Amino acid sequence: MSAAPTAPSSHAARPPVERPTKPRPGANRWLALGAVAVLTWLAASATTGIDLVGRLSATIERGVPPRTREILAQIPNPAWEDAPATFGPFLETLSMAVLGTLIGCTLALVVAFGASSVTAGGRVRLALTRSLASLVRSVPDVMWALLFVSAVGTGTISGLLALVLFNIGVVAKLLSETIDAVDTGPLEAADAAGAGLVSRARAAVFPQVLPSYLAYSLYAFELNVRASAVLGLVGAGGIGTLLNLARTQFRYDRVSLIVAEIFVFVFLAEVLSITLRRRLVR
Amino acid sequence: MTSVPVTSARPTAPRRIALRVGVLLVVLLALWAWVVADLDIDKLLRAPSRIADLFRLMFLPPLWSNFLPALKAMAESVQMAWLGTLMAAVLSLPLSLLAAHNVSGRFGSSATRQLLNGIRAFPELVLVILIVTVFGLGPVTGMLALGIHSIGTLGKLSSESVESIDPGPVEAVDAVGGTWLQRMRWGVLPQAMPEIVAFWLYRFEINIRASAVLGVVGAGGIGSQLSETLRYKEFAQAGMAFIVVVGVTLLIDAVSGRIRRRIISGVDRPVDGDAAMIVMDPTVVA
Repeated sequence: MSAAPTAPSSHAARPPVERPTKPRPGANRWLALGAVAVLTWLAASATTGIDLVGRLSATIERGVPPRTREILAQIPNPAWEDAPATFGPFLETLSMAVLGTLIGCTLALVVAFGASSVTAGGRVRLALTRSLASLVRSVPDVMWALLFVSAVGTGTISGLLALVLFNIGVVAKLLSETIDAVDTGPLEAADAAGAGLVSRARAAVFPQVLPSYLAYSLYAFELNVRASAVLGLVGAGGIGTLLNLARTQFRYDRVSLIVAEIFVFVFLAEVLSITLRRRLVR
Repeated sequence: MTSVPVTSARPTAPRRIALRVGVLLVVLLALWAWVVADLDIDKLLRAPSRIADLFRLMFLPPLWSNFLPALKAMAESVQMAWLGTLMAAVLSLPLSLLAAHNVSGRFGSSATRQLLNGIRAFPELVLVILIVTVFGLGPVTGMLALGIHSIGTLGKLSSESVESIDPGPVEAVDAVGGTWLQRMRWGVLPQAMPEIVAFWLYRFEINIRASAVLGVVGAGGIGSQLSETLRYKEFAQAGMAFIVVVGVTLLIDAVSGRIRRRIISGVDRPVDGDAAMIVMDPTVVA
């Protein structure tokens, strides 16, 4: 454009090299920052939101009342003498997590095959399974537990059912994405040999996704350990039942004992799961 | 020349001892769990019809008069999730820089990492039980619980994102005499930020789910409505609350997912990402 025919002798005096102009920060960035600011204001303000400043300053003004002080003083002194009584419920929690993982991940395997375009066998079935899976996934585990407790009653069954559904949601989503990305060679071979829907999934897809499936299942186990420890808060069995009791009785020395135990429990499950998963990946 | 054998045997299948031991262990574990859980079989068999009954009471027909109250309670949950995520985002960013071994000291990075691991091991509901003693019932407690738990997960994920940057730009800032802060601002953050922001949004989606149940132990939002209506057997009201939770969660997932994909489209890492990351790292969802 600048090479105009009216400027023939530009070779003689070369203009100084200009520094490249800095790219303008995109309008998107300002739009995003503005949106975040507006949303935050809406969420925190007194009229439209949770009145963050008002509530915080009220808390500060009120200070820590004597009753709260008593409760807080209990937290650093866990009731260690009650620890033996918590072991039974902890085993119950662990058994819920184990059964929930095994049943949930087994069912999730079937759902995942139905929710991947590679193995679903039909668009209708694919759409149906996918929407069902995302529906299941959009409900938090504790909410499933609440529903099952009111349908079936309090106890480990409700917790187990909640964990099973929760696992189906998580594992089916992850696994169906992995199935979407399998190598198509074995699939073509299975098709060429005239395999049916089930046998081609079993022979051509399953061996490819098995390591991922096991890794997801271990991950689900870890989530289940976390979840099963708190499901009892809504009446679904396990150690959470004791936690809820201690909480409503304001026995925060017991609360802090159970919380400390949950901490160790979750931590150990995480270490175990990570170790096994690292081996699987290699 | 040796003669080639006419019949070649089919290769023997490898003996997979580890697999068999693994399967055996899982079976034993399942048996143990079955015994300990001591499930009431009668109750289990009656469960499907009970669940169908509850379904009928909750959703047939939907109680539309509770739609707006439920939406209002859900809005409080979403606000708790938004503010909690924001709080965690702001606090986790410096922590993630401290935890990344390539931009932080050796001691500092492992200490920060342990701190993040420790924070993560407290479930949100447990945090609510502790925080509620000081901040009382209400959404601020929920926000703090979500925020604190998310610091652990976001800090860990972000630090891994920082660890995977190209060292070139950082060296360039070093070479022209940049300070630690300048190194972070011009060498590290421009590379890591898109992924980190995507993690924030992803965490927001998770916190929406979590915030919807925190009310069960008194942290505000739709959880208290849901648990109370179920306790007093107002099933139709609970049903509408349930519909609202699912609808709003799916809606926000869709919007946030699109933004995430848009933000990260320049980065060649799996986007929806969770599968690949989870195999390496467990803390994405929890």
